[in-house]
Amino acid sequence: MGQPAAKLSVSVPGELAEAVRKRVGAKGPSGFVARALAHELEREGVGALLVELEEQLGPPSKADLARARKAWPKR
Amino acid sequence: MAEALILDLEAVHALAQPTTRRVLAERAATILRVAHQKRALIRVPAPVLAEVCRGVRHDSAINQLLNNLGVRVVELDRAAVQQVGQMLARLKLSSAHAIDAFVVATALQFDTAVIATGDPDDIRRLAAPFPKIGVFAL
Repeated sequence: MGQPAAKLSVSVPGELAEAVRKRVGAKGPSGFVARALAHELEREGVGALLVELEEQLGPPSKADLARARKAWPKR
Repeated sequence: MAEALILDLEAVHALAQPTTRRVLAERAATILRVAHQKRALIRVPAPVLAEVCRGVRHDSAINQLLNNLGVRVVELDRAAVQQVGQMLARLKLSSAHAIDAFVVATALQFDTAVIATGDPDDIRRLAAPFPKIGVFAL
């Protein structure tokens, strides 16, 4: 069961609002906006974790970064 | 559906306690950085918690990692759990490999995923039929 919805009033640039309306159509923007907000919060959380890790471990080497990029499958 | 980095046992331990597992943590932090650059989601399969959590006195670092908004635990539904059984049967593996299979089943919920693991051989064997899953050995 999902959590109860809460109203959130935001102002965005007109072009962005129009692009979202075109993207979501009759479904309305709530689901789209909720996913975008959740993803942005997640990214900020991971970004903060990366800062902490780099403070403790230093930056990754170029060789390690290359190996990590290579592990990613093609879409 | 999105891309994801799936954290296995060693990846969770390493990210939770980076200074006590330095080499593993450096590798885990590197794949985490690449995942972040790719805008991938970071996920921990719920069964992995059974391997890493050992009680209140031991779990504070794990809980701190899991309280990060960007590191989310994935609970598996009936279909995913049944898929785990099928994976084990196909490879004639016992339920001792169930958690590895849960990790692969979690990866299958995304368009593409990389599994960060300290146990790459078993994970690679389970993930072999699925080209959209990559394996990163810590």
